[in-house]
This record gives sequence, structure tokens and C-alpha cells, in this order.
Amino acid sequence: MEHQTRTRRRYGAVLALVAGAVPWFVTIGDLSEAGHRQLSIFLLAVVLWVTEAVPLHATAACIIGLQVILVSDQAIFGVPAGFEAPPYAEFYGALADPVIILFLGGFFLADAAAKFDLDRNLARVLLTPFGDRPSRLILGIMVITAVLSMFMSNTATTATMLAVVLPVAGRLPPGDPTRVALALCVPVAANVGGIGTPVGTPPNAVAISALSSAGYDLTFLDWMVLAVPFVVIILIAAWLVLCRFFPAEVDTLDVRIESVFDRSRNATILYVTAGATIAGWLTEPLHGVPAAVVAFLPIAVLLTTRVFTADDLRRVQWHVLWLVAGGIALGDGVVSTGLDEWFVGLLPLDDLPALALAAVLASVALVASTVISNSATANLLVPIGLTVAASAAVAIDPVLAGVLIAVGCSLAMMLPVSTPPNAVAYATGSVKTTDMAAVGAVVGVVGLLVFVLLAPPVWEALGLL
Amino acid sequence: MKLVILVVEDDPPVRDALVADLAPFGAVARIEVAESAEEASELVADLGRDERLALVLADHRLPGRSGVDFLVGLSGSMADPAVRKVLVTGQADHADTIRAVNDAGLDHYIAKPWDPDDLATVVRDLLSRWVADQVDDVLPYLAHLDSEILLPAVRRHTDPD
Repeated sequence: MEHQTRTRRRYGAVLALVAGAVPWFVTIGDLSEAGHRQLSIFLLAVVLWVTEAVPLHATAACIIGLQVILVSDQAIFGVPAGFEAPPYAEFYGALADPVIILFLGGFFLADAAAKFDLDRNLARVLLTPFGDRPSRLILGIMVITAVLSMFMSNTATTATMLAVVLPVAGRLPPGDPTRVALALCVPVAANVGGIGTPVGTPPNAVAISALSSAGYDLTFLDWMVLAVPFVVIILIAAWLVLCRFFPAEVDTLDVRIESVFDRSRNATILYVTAGATIAGWLTEPLHGVPAAVVAFLPIAVLLTTRVFTADDLRRVQWHVLWLVAGGIALGDGVVSTGLDEWFVGLLPLDDLPALALAAVLASVALVASTVISNSATANLLVPIGLTVAASAAVAIDPVLAGVLIAVGCSLAMMLPVSTPPNAVAYATGSVKTTDMAAVGAVVGVVGLLVFVLLAPPVWEALGLL
Repeated sequence: MKLVILVVEDDPPVRDALVADLAPFGAVARIEVAESAEEASELVADLGRDERLALVLADHRLPGRSGVDFLVGLSGSMADPAVRKVLVTGQADHADTIRAVNDAGLDHYIAKPWDPDDLATVVRDLLSRWVADQVDDVLPYLAHLDSEILLPAVRRHTDPD
């Protein structure tokens, strides 16, 4: 295994360099010089993100650096004639893009919640009304997991919820199907729940940022209105599938969960801050303060009151933010060099019905992110997908394209490697790959159909497109 | 990285019983045995580059240096302070035990004869805590050790969604 990893990394790195070198030696007639440079960066990024020859965030860092030295106004080989190079600060600025700050605010809330056990206590309190019948309890676990996952990373939510769920599963006899259902319902609900808000998972951030650059600003609430109704439908479908595939053999489960909320000064400050932040995000239409501005409230308050210490600050998952920033910078470069237009020109788009195009965008995202990182998939597909949507040959709203790509990335959950929540659930030893593949396939297909067929007319009726 | 559990016990039947009770941990750690403190020190010095000593279960009364002396040596300046230490003995007196707690940072004391289930519980707990503290990727251990201890570490060290 370790040997395979080394081999994959070595070939990946070599292949990435070769792919990145090609545009420097092969001249493509209808692509500008800046486009060639950007194509080099893009090909390098594709290979590095697919092979994971270097960590995902390292690829993002390379992208930012390469864009500055190749396609910004500080390009070291000079700015190509006729190319309006973006200021280099714009590429560095991706690291402090409003969406990055929005995520950072979310991380502060999630990390502080973990520190004071707020997430686990909330899960326990909210689970109580669902009772102890297996199917009801699984529904409860899925609802709570999905809601937490809208505000915390999918992986952190999975870790939190499995810690609540595994002891319950452990009190069942070995081989009981409900054990599998309990362990599998958590990653499924976390992946689906992540679709629900802008801060739920990085692909959403990538889509929102790219849409904002293209002139389509989605508020926190806009995104939730777009996504949550369909998240609910997919969750119910997933729950039915789990109950069907793993029918309960016991009447009741031994739940035994207690919650003891921390009532210290620091914990109370966190509760109030988290409540105020989320309320601020949900009420943007009333006060007009953008979500990324509200997101600085927890950052400033929790640091000032020392609820969040320097140690906590060091432990923030900065690498996730770097990965998203790499995607934002890449999208910026792809659009400003015109690489996106050239690429879209290669696609046979004429006479493609809007519905088919929507299905293609979401399916490509789903298939790609089944084997590569969801965030990396979104980073690569969103800029091109938005340009496809904006091109004259098709009639599909860019918002639809952006949201469908982000959703497609999150719906990929067939394999343990598809997404970290799956990897965690698989590592517990309670779930077999075949079980995960069966449930993942159903959820992926149902999710795709729901979003491609149902969502566009609903969004249009609501005036969101 | 491979974990190593070291058993230091001179009495063959007792040693075999300990090794048998540790068998369930064979999936996550290599179990090494030594008959004396000296042999144990050599084993520790000879660990491979990708191996790390996670847990020692030592008897007190051994030929040559005592088990408590060995454990105190393990927590000395050159040693790996993370190693979890268990004394498995029937013969350590009050003073030895105090020294093991104060100077060796003893994690647990198991009196002979032991209950195999208790031993497994103690080892599982200590190994889980060691892995949660010392290992970046805890996923390979999740199925074999205490998931409640390991899951918070999963949260700290994971890839982006």
C-alpha cells in the first residue's frame, strides 16, 4: 500500500510536469499566449489534483504562485502583448476572498463548538424525541447529522456523530443489519447535509465565489432556499433505502445518551455568538449585511474574549481554506486569460437542450468526485461550467450551472475514497464497500434526478434564476 | 509506522499468558517479549526506523535490574516520553510502586493474577490514547481500538471534503 502510494506520487508528479510543459511547446492556433500559459497551469493542476502526487492544498499554493508569475501584471516572462493582465494582488487576494472569510467564520464556530462539546450535546438533546425504534432513531441521526453538517465540515460532523452512534451500534448483536445502517447513515447524511448552506462544504464556496465574480451574488439564504428543500427529499430517500437494505431485527435500541451542557463563561459566550452569527446569516434580506461580513463577528468576538485562543487559531484547518483559495485563483485566471472561452469552443454545444446540459454538468461532477476530492473537482469544473452556461449556444442560467456542479460534487459517495466521511465510516469496520456502493449509488442517482429535473422549475418559480 | 507492545516477564507460563491475552491487538501492533530489563533495553534500541514503542507491560521482579528500574529508565532524558507504561506484578512493595508512579510516570498497575478482560480493557484504552496523541492518520486503527477516543483525533487530521 505504501509502495503503491509512492509510485502513484512519483508518476503523478512526472505526468503533471509533462502536462504542464505541453502548452509551452505546442502552439494552438486560436488560443492567445496568455491562454497557453493558463492552460499550462490548468493541466498541471488537473494532474496533481487527480493523482494527489502532492497534497491538495499544495497544488492550490502552486496555482496561486504560478498565476502570479505567469499571467499577472508581474509575470516574470513579461506580459503578452494585447493581454490585460490582472494585478498580481488579485491572485494573492484569493486567500482573503469574502468566501474564504465566510468559511473561516464557520470554522471558528465549528472548532469552538467542538471545544465545548456543543456539537455532541446538541446531537444528544435533539436525538431524544426520536425515541428508540431503529428506523425512527436512524431518521433522527440523519436529520441531526445533516443539520450539523450544514454548519460544520462534513468530516468533522461524521466524527462527532459516529462517536454518538457507534456505542449504540456496539450494543447490538454482531451481524445485526442495523449496525451497518447506523454507521452508514452518518456519512450519507453528512455528505447530503453539506449541500444545504454556503459554509456546508468547500464546493459550495467555490461555486458562490465564481458566481459572484460573474455578477451573480447569492445570499446565504438564497443558497439555502435553493438547496435545503432538495436536501430534505434526498435525505428521506436515503433513509428509506437504508431501512430497506438493512431491515431492523430488533424492536428497540439501547440508546442511553446523556448531555451535560457546559455552563462556563466561555461556553456561554460561544452559544450567544454562534446564535447571533447564524441568525445574522439567515436574516440578510432584513438587514442587508452580507454573510461574509457577519462571519467576522465570531472571529472578532471569540478571539477578543479569549474563548478562541492562539492554540485554537493554530489548529484551524487552514489547508482547507488554501484549497478553496486555489480554486478561486484558478477560476479567476481561467476567465481573465480567456482559456474558458477557448475550452468551451471545443465542446459540441450546439443544439444541446438545457436539460441535457444541466444533467451533463452535474453528472460529470458526480463521476469525477467519486474518485477525486470534491473540492478539487469543483475547483476544476466550476469556472468552465459557468462559461459553458454563459455561452451563446446554450440557454442555461449560470446560477443553475454553478449550483449543479457543487451539488454533483457532494453527491458522490459510492466508495470509501469518494469523500473523507465515507473513509471514516469505512475505517470503523462496520461498513462493507459493497454496502456503501449500493447505498451511495442510489443516493447519487436519486439526488442527481431530483436536482436536475425538479430543481430548475422550482428555482425559476421562486425567481432565483 | 508500526506500533510495538513490549512484554517484559521472566516466568515463561506468565509471559505466554500475557502474550495470549494481547493477541487481539496483533492487528495493530507487533508484540515483542523480553526476559529481562537488559534484553528489553536492547529490543527498544533495536527498533526499526518505522517502528515505535507504544506500550510496555513489565513485571517488577526480574533477573538483574527490576521492572520498575527499567520503566524509570524508559522515561529518562533520551527516551520517548509518550510510551505508556503498565506494571504487571504481585511482588512490588509500596516503595517500588511509589517510585514507578512518580519517576516512571506509570499509567496503570495490574496485580497478578489478572483478569484477561480487565487487561484487554486497560491495553485498549492506553493504546487508543497513544494513537490519538501520536499518530496523524488514525483511520487504520479505528476498527481495532476505542473509537470514542480516536474519533476526536479524526476530526483534527482529515482531508478537506
